[in-house]
Amino acid sequence: MAAPMNSVGKLLAERSPFNSTSFQKKTRSKLISIPGTRPSVQNGQLLVSTGVTSLDYLLGGGLAVGTVLLIEEDRYDSYSRMILKYFLAEGVVCRHELFVAAAQDNPDDILQELPAPILDDVVIPKPMEQPRLSCDPQDSLDAMKIAWRYQNLPKVQSALASSSRFGHYYDVSKTMDPEIRQAAKCHCFYLPEHSPPSSTTHSPMLESYSALLKSLQEVIHREGFDLTTPMSKSRNILRVGLHSLGSALWGDDLSCHDNPRHRHTLTTFLYGLRALLRSSLSVAVVTVPSHLIQDRALMGSITRLCDNAIALESFNGSERETNTLYKDYHGLLHVHQVPHLNCLASQLPDHKDLAFKLKRKQFSIESLGFSCSLIPAEG
Amino acid sequence: MLAELLQGTDTGGFLVIQDSCSCSGRTLLKSLINAALNREETVHVLCFDVSEEELKDGLKTSVTQRLHIHNAYIDPLGWSDHPAFTVHQFNLVELTHLVKQTSHTKPATLVIDSLSWILRHVSSPAVCKTLQQLKKGGAVRAIIGLLHADMHQRGTVGSVCHLANSVITVAPGTKGDEATAKLTKRSKSGKVLQDEEIFSINEDLTVTVQSKPSNPEHKQSDTIEQQVDPTANLTFNLRLSDTERKAKEKLALPFVFSKEKKTALLHSGPGSGRILYEPDANDDYDQEDPDDDLDV
Repeated sequence: MAAPMNSVGKLLAERSPFNSTSFQKKTRSKLISIPGTRPSVQNGQLLVSTGVTSLDYLLGGGLAVGTVLLIEEDRYDSYSRMILKYFLAEGVVCRHELFVAAAQDNPDDILQELPAPILDDVVIPKPMEQPRLSCDPQDSLDAMKIAWRYQNLPKVQSALASSSRFGHYYDVSKTMDPEIRQAAKCHCFYLPEHSPPSSTTHSPMLESYSALLKSLQEVIHREGFDLTTPMSKSRNILRVGLHSLGSALWGDDLSCHDNPRHRHTLTTFLYGLRALLRSSLSVAVVTVPSHLIQDRALMGSITRLCDNAIALESFNGSERETNTLYKDYHGLLHVHQVPHLNCLASQLPDHKDLAFKLKRKQFSIESLGFSCSLIPAEG
Repeated sequence: MLAELLQGTDTGGFLVIQDSCSCSGRTLLKSLINAALNREETVHVLCFDVSEEELKDGLKTSVTQRLHIHNAYIDPLGWSDHPAFTVHQFNLVELTHLVKQTSHTKPATLVIDSLSWILRHVSSPAVCKTLQQLKKGGAVRAIIGLLHADMHQRGTVGSVCHLANSVITVAPGTKGDEATAKLTKRSKSGKVLQDEEIFSINEDLTVTVQSKPSNPEHKQSDTIEQQVDPTANLTFNLRLSDTERKAKEKLALPFVFSKEKKTALLHSGPGSGRILYEPDANDDYDQEDPDDDLDV
């Protein structure tokens, strides 16, 4: 019994750190296989995870590449910001590229606050420790008393899991290790740092939104996410996070006045954004402070222009906080729109009354009245 | 919470006092100015709504060298040739220049009386942008603004309060000289604290917090759970005495070999057996996909 165990051990030690088996699944499909994505079971679209597994389930398995998710912010922008951070953290873990734009806080600050992934699911690209063949046998043998046969095996952290696993869990009480974060490429757009050029052409968009759209277009083209360019190297996904569009800090008076002068600036921007996303391998999450926008018709057209739309209503400070029905939850979640991409009917969620709760290791979305999780048991 | 806010907002904080015509927030604003002056801070006041004399009324005269009032009451729109301060000077460059001219070593506190005046003449996005720049820049330590909530549309009030770290909404109280204050404070970590208190302002501009309003407390205090020791109160003994622990450690485990044999097994030479596996085309049988062997 001792000999075969030992030889397998040696074999494992010799392989590259990220492959603990020689198994490779034979794929005959023509879909480009990018880490962190999977095809949808409903319509074959390529899906990415939003970082929140229960939200993935609500959206029909994940966020389709090329679409926009609109999150209507809660009153103090705590939970919508959290979901944006989950989205970006998922991008770092799946090794996608990130594009973050904000007018209020520096995007670097947002990136510093990303939650830490729960480690046994993630491969950290650290240089592997060499198996200790020549070290002092006294120390190495005393280290493990019962499992001493595994002494020399390298510390593999479920390498196969990270490329095939869809959706990770995060611990919000800790921030992501800077090493993991710096492994991912991030493009930032901080509005105060972009001086508005003097616009001579009359554009239906504000300068801030035009600058943002131009910057995004330039990144997509330069980094090769454009689907029109021929496939030269391996493809990756660009995750775009736009914080608080439509707020006064973007120069938009949509959230200030009942009859805004810039009625069509945000809608024009969203139209351009969606066109840009459809022709590239990117996915966007946009948060909008809808509680400040008084014109409901305009809010309706903003919702129609995004493919997925959810609204968060937190109980913080509202009179609902004291309602016994809501005492286990942090707020309500309303799904305003689900996408129908290349199909006639869309998959609506079964439950309409949804409530969310931000737990330390999970952002859970449950149906009100039934305290069961939405995700069906895997089996 | 009102007492904490009076003691001093954090650096880079923006406090908004929302009032309405039924209850004025100016006395609370003056008590905040008073508290700041007592803390040896330099205070710059942009005075739009009321005259300088009315604002100074009640403040201690001894500390006025640290109090700089920029009189925008006389000529806020710059109609005369030499206005003291106009509403169009409300931007980052001018305000930084203004504060730096008369500043002492510590950055100053900026008090705006009132934001409503500025919002009527300057567009809301521009005002919000200036406030955000002031918050981020280092020239001003804290900003306190008075906002008349009934003068503006809900979106405007909401946008300005969205930028604020703390918002105090004053409303008339039940008794004559009392007022209720609804406080909302956003900490840097994103946590939001809410409170409601009844207060009254004394002659010397100090604030007395009376009590919570008469509604019963809805929030329940978190019960601290005692750490229950599971090994207590058992009918069998789970603990080890010293002799028992020593005997446990001396126990020889099965498959524990001597050190030489362990090293021999761990660091064996190249002569031992190896498994060489080359995947065959037939070996790719995927249990989940029954059609895998079809040549489609």
